[in-house]
Amino acid sequence: MNRELARVATAGAAGALLLGLAACGGGSGSGGADGERAADGKVEITVAGMPPSTQPASQKDFLADVAAFEQANPTIKIKPTDTQYDVKTFAARLAAGQLETVFRVPLTDPPSMIKRGQVADLTADLKSLTHADFDTRLLAPASGPDGKVYGLPTEAYAAGLVYNRELFTKAGLDPDKPPATWEDVRAAAKQINDKTGVPGFGMHSTSNTGGWILTTMTYAYGGRMEKEEGGTYVPAFDDASTRTVLDLLKAMRWEDKSMGTQQLRNFDDMLRDFASGKIGMMVGAPNLFSGYKLKFGGDPDKFGQTTLPMAPGGGALLGGTVAVVSPKATPEQRQAAVKWIDYYYLRPKYDVALAAKRAKQRKADNLIAGLPVLPFFTQAISGPVIEAERANSNVPWANFDTYINGVASQEFVPEPPVAAQELYAALDTVVQAVLTRQDADPAAELKKAVEKVTPILDRSQQ
Amino acid sequence: MTAVLHKAERDAVVRPRPARRARHPYALASALFLAPMVIVFGYFSWWPIVQSALLAFQRTNLVDPAQWVGWQNFANLFADPLLGTAALNTVWFTVLALIFGFPVPVFLAVVMSELRRGGGLFRVLVYLPVAVPPVVAVMMWKFFYNSDYGLLNGMFGLVGLGPFPWLQDTAWAMPSLVLEATWAGAGGTVLIYIAALTSVPKELYEAAESDGASIWRRIWHITLPQLRGVLLLMLLLQIIGTFQVFTEPFVMTDGGPEDSTATVLLLIYRYAFVYGDYGMAAALSVLLAVVLGLLSAVYLRATKTWSST
Repeated sequence: MNRELARVATAGAAGALLLGLAACGGGSGSGGADGERAADGKVEITVAGMPPSTQPASQKDFLADVAAFEQANPTIKIKPTDTQYDVKTFAARLAAGQLETVFRVPLTDPPSMIKRGQVADLTADLKSLTHADFDTRLLAPASGPDGKVYGLPTEAYAAGLVYNRELFTKAGLDPDKPPATWEDVRAAAKQINDKTGVPGFGMHSTSNTGGWILTTMTYAYGGRMEKEEGGTYVPAFDDASTRTVLDLLKAMRWEDKSMGTQQLRNFDDMLRDFASGKIGMMVGAPNLFSGYKLKFGGDPDKFGQTTLPMAPGGGALLGGTVAVVSPKATPEQRQAAVKWIDYYYLRPKYDVALAAKRAKQRKADNLIAGLPVLPFFTQAISGPVIEAERANSNVPWANFDTYINGVASQEFVPEPPVAAQELYAALDTVVQAVLTRQDADPAAELKKAVEKVTPILDRSQQ
Repeated sequence: MTAVLHKAERDAVVRPRPARRARHPYALASALFLAPMVIVFGYFSWWPIVQSALLAFQRTNLVDPAQWVGWQNFANLFADPLLGTAALNTVWFTVLALIFGFPVPVFLAVVMSELRRGGGLFRVLVYLPVAVPPVVAVMMWKFFYNSDYGLLNGMFGLVGLGPFPWLQDTAWAMPSLVLEATWAGAGGTVLIYIAALTSVPKELYEAAESDGASIWRRIWHITLPQLRGVLLLMLLLQIIGTFQVFTEPFVMTDGGPEDSTATVLLLIYRYAFVYGDYGMAAALSVLLAVVLGLLSAVYLRATKTWSST
């Protein structure tokens, strides 16, 4: 090859590649939340959560909603994606500018995202909502320590106790009268184990779920995991409530032998074992019913749900999902995003006809329709909506009776405010110790956990 | 000597070019062929490495510009009591993997190369676990290890043994992970050893056989010395690989019970993707890379004399 030509070709090839790469780098942000005002003067936002094409009726309905919304708001253009939030890809997508303007996260995540400045402050936009008079207990989990609101609830559940109704019957227990105290839980677990050979009670213990359920049970006993001292949060779990929970678990595991020998299970392991009838009872909320039936093929008629037994001062840990807005959104995009959240996620919570329609569509797609959830608004608004959902539901509501009747009067408690996931990870170890080592001393394990958690809380509040 | 001089003189006459160019007649063409690789590697591999090294000295939420925090991430790292546990666990995994995992493939390769018939079948059987996606393999073993209804306790139960607390006990969990990792990884290594064995001259074995050497003496005095170079390289690769163990503890135990299987990579994962502290994750990654680099340098230096075959 002619040398001069080769040189030109080399430079040309390298230049073309660089240009290509530069185009890739620059292009990555354009579809994301930092996209600018479209050429036709419209504000463009991307929204996650479009049902995938495997759910045709729901997807069609979603796209119809998008079209109707755009018609009602001619200055807003919606770009839907069927992406679901995943904690593992969140950081990369945020950094690459590919995060949607609106996306939903589990209720466990907003506190740490707020702390890191990874979600937008929506306080100023709340007044634009059709019904801003939320049950304030539901806004708390997505509110920052500064009192500002960073997310809007789209589903809310209070932690309860799920149980296998068939195992209850086989063990000679009445499935319509589930345990009302922790002593009842222990006795029922032993009876199930003795009569059926199936572990009567199961406990999560890995991937931070051990700490999470320990927190849930501690709350039910009236305890808290963190407390404020002189303006900073310190561990509060080394107290009688958490020790009582651990003593109870220890007694069930080693004295009654009603928890089986297989431990170290995460959320999915537990749900799979529960759905296949290998666990009598476990801590869980109604939203488990979806995975129970659709993912693990559990029998709906065997699913029982009741409230968590509460000691004086006890409260139920809240779960569910929250719609949040990308921190890279412009003020116009943020306002448009809140309008969309109101239109798509909140409207079915106050519009009776829409609630019924959505439930029917979910039923048509063989999804779970009309799950018993916590009401968002006053009885006057939420009551008829819940009735409409129940009428079009494919969930055995009768199996949730004690839960629905009991949960209304419960106090709700949000996640620990500082470094909840790190706290849960440290407490996983405590739960694992109690479940896998007969000589583990709950009090000593809690002391060790305090030593682990204290520097984490200090670091998180730097 | 004369011939050399003549050649140089002839070259000088025939190709009167500047010396620099004469040495690299294909420099531009080489650059042309190299450019795509250099650019792609540079952009997708080396630049991220540089970025993550820089990230180790920064605090970022990936939204606002990153702040330089000096050695703060490393200070936080050393204040975490789990770091020491994770480092020891990782070394423990590596040691166990060497004890169990290193001799097994050598043994299998030697035995299989001795087989007169059925070698192909055994090679497929040994390699099959490598074809199973790692996460699937780990999930499968998690099921085997289940102490309530798992396959292993069921099998041992038939002969009156157990039940064993495979993943349920701080002393048992790590060896159980190593067992799975050895099963999953041995096949690939066996193939490399079998390939290396084919290069061992047949005459050596024939000579040994005619001298009446037993099979063990042939293995000890011919096979292993001939494989020395490959063995030492595989050992280094295995040390580096096992130091980065992640899938097994992540999927099977999530570091439990009581942090007994929490490894350095699992900690890096948690810092980045569970706690959102990317700076600390990068700091620990840099630390791991430095340790592995030093380890490799020391190892190569120490084995320089033995490995020259």
